[in-house]
Amino acid sequence: MWVTALVSGIALGSFYSLIAMGFALIFGVTHAFNLAHGELVVLAGYVAYWLWKGWGLSLVFTFPVAVAVLLCLCLILQRLFALLREPLELNSIVMSFGLAILLQNGMLFAFSGDYRLIRTPALTEGVYVNGLSLTYSQIALVALSLVAIGLLHLLMHHTYLGKALRATIQDREGAALAGINVRGMGLVAFGFGAVCIGLAGPLYGSVHYLYPAAGLQATLIAITVTIFAGVGRIRGLIVGGWLLGLAESAAVILLGSSWRELVSAVILIGLLVFRPRGILGREEG
Amino acid sequence: MLAWRATMLCCLIVLILVGPSVFAASIKIGDIHPLTGRLATHGLESHQGVIAAVAEVNEAGGLLGRQVELVSRDDQSLPDVAISRAEELCAKEKVVGLTGGYEDSLVGAVSEVARKYQVPFVASASLQKELARHGNPYFFRVAGLQGFVEPLCDFLSERLRPQRLAILHAGTPGATEFAADLERCLQPRGFPVRLAEKFRPGTPDFVPLIAKLAALPADVIVSGGFFADHILLVRQIKEQHLRPKAYIGPWGVAYETFLKEMGEDAEYLYGTAAWMPGITLPGTEAASRAFVERCRRLFKREPSSTTMHGYTAARALLAAIEAVLRRGQPPTGANVRQALAGLDLLLPMERLSFDERGDPRSYRHVVLQVQGGRFVVVYPPERATGSAVYPAPP
Repeated sequence: MWVTALVSGIALGSFYSLIAMGFALIFGVTHAFNLAHGELVVLAGYVAYWLWKGWGLSLVFTFPVAVAVLLCLCLILQRLFALLREPLELNSIVMSFGLAILLQNGMLFAFSGDYRLIRTPALTEGVYVNGLSLTYSQIALVALSLVAIGLLHLLMHHTYLGKALRATIQDREGAALAGINVRGMGLVAFGFGAVCIGLAGPLYGSVHYLYPAAGLQATLIAITVTIFAGVGRIRGLIVGGWLLGLAESAAVILLGSSWRELVSAVILIGLLVFRPRGILGREEG
Repeated sequence: MLAWRATMLCCLIVLILVGPSVFAASIKIGDIHPLTGRLATHGLESHQGVIAAVAEVNEAGGLLGRQVELVSRDDQSLPDVAISRAEELCAKEKVVGLTGGYEDSLVGAVSEVARKYQVPFVASASLQKELARHGNPYFFRVAGLQGFVEPLCDFLSERLRPQRLAILHAGTPGATEFAADLERCLQPRGFPVRLAEKFRPGTPDFVPLIAKLAALPADVIVSGGFFADHILLVRQIKEQHLRPKAYIGPWGVAYETFLKEMGEDAEYLYGTAAWMPGITLPGTEAASRAFVERCRRLFKREPSSTTMHGYTAARALLAAIEAVLRRGQPPTGANVRQALAGLDLLLPMERLSFDERGDPRSYRHVVLQVQGGRFVVVYPPERATGSAVYPAPP
């Protein structure tokens, strides 16, 4: 039972990190608090669903289209956020909240309120040894999140662009003084964020299910994992996601399903009090 | 310019003088549903049922010749919005009665506004017993918890006779009461519940919970979750190689859309329903077919059990208003409330009459099983269209 919970916790945590990646990157670089993040994930899922159901495309081939659609949308979104004035965080919350409602109603109109699921029988199969089941969807979630985090980490730490992005995350004014085009970095962050959202959406529709209001839950997951990780800490996303997933799984086994969210909330409050810079954050001084 | 203004003024005067007498001919009823937000899926279905009921009455010439005007509002799946919309319908729109409502948190909020304005409210989907205990004379509902608990308790104890029964349920008031009532019913019959767990609707991962079910191992699982929860739970049970003899979802399974989304994974699952296209109360076959046809024509889709709940609630309200008009009384809240209390209607979903608390007297579900991609009634025997396949083949 415990091994199953461990595997499930890590897979769930990987799912959480994939959802949070785009949000964390955009928030870190631009300080735009995008409350419509979850709706964008769900929209990417609907794009994949439409391709899978309407055109018979396999899940794998829906990813590039979802990424392309999200790239276009996120670039428009970036232009909208660029028009906002200070206080940026507050104004972005207000604008993205309105955008979230707009997207929700748009999806309700286009796809109806029905629950949609991208059925991929291959993902529900897997390895079953001594009572332990490891499904291909769990393996895919862990592998994809590790690959995505690894690539982002390489980009952020071993390329000039990544270093410029990190500098912008750490100190926007300092980065601008050093000659970094901070506005341009915002565009890059939205671009990479769109790729992450475009990858997360089809997976969301495959391992979870889609309905127009599902975005709220995805946004909450993204915010929680970003706080767990600490702003701008890419590796922290996977650690934060896993910690959250494992805590939830352990809570179900030890205390019961109804304690699941409470345990996560207690850990989140503890982190905010004792490690406000995130799980891997270094304290100042 | 002067002539144009004079024309406009004349039109306005004519409207003011003639308008009230023209509009007085229609009867206004209010409809409040979650049309957006987390409950939009079922809210829209129930709302369509209300539209179908109003269309049926208006197509037949109205209520004693008076057309019914439906004023609909979206509560956005939020109780505070439900209150403000209900206030608007009662105070501003001056509706004769209210209908709709999905989930107890929204229904409870609207019922209190109904009491304040003395406007009868017939809720389409509400279960929590507490709501009917508030002594609100203006609150009525067409569904009740016992309609699920009693047939399921009988079916489990008479037919399935589980050795290791697990009840999982969503953490909503209605689902929590359902789980407690079912356990209370089964315990004295010698079928104790071995595992009872509450979960949040929309939980993304049931695997740790399934590990607990596997440790028993549970032979029958009753899951008081909703449509979306079943989608995940059933799939993850299969992925984790747990093979219960029966999986029962009282809510959410008995939908054609569920079959469509789940495909073969839905095979041999049990659900319950008060009505479905093709499954109707004896003696109401023609009315049921007419309702299905009307929904297909109006909405280009098959109605669900939730659509029928909306239809039933609206039909009750409309029948009560008609009874008031027939008596030559004005359709005030108090008069319509009195007519609702004495109502006795045979509808496809139930023979509808209300007890002193506003609960339906005869609301009762049948137990269904998915066999060969379609729903077969397996309980009670007098309405069964086939036998239960038990245990479910691996």
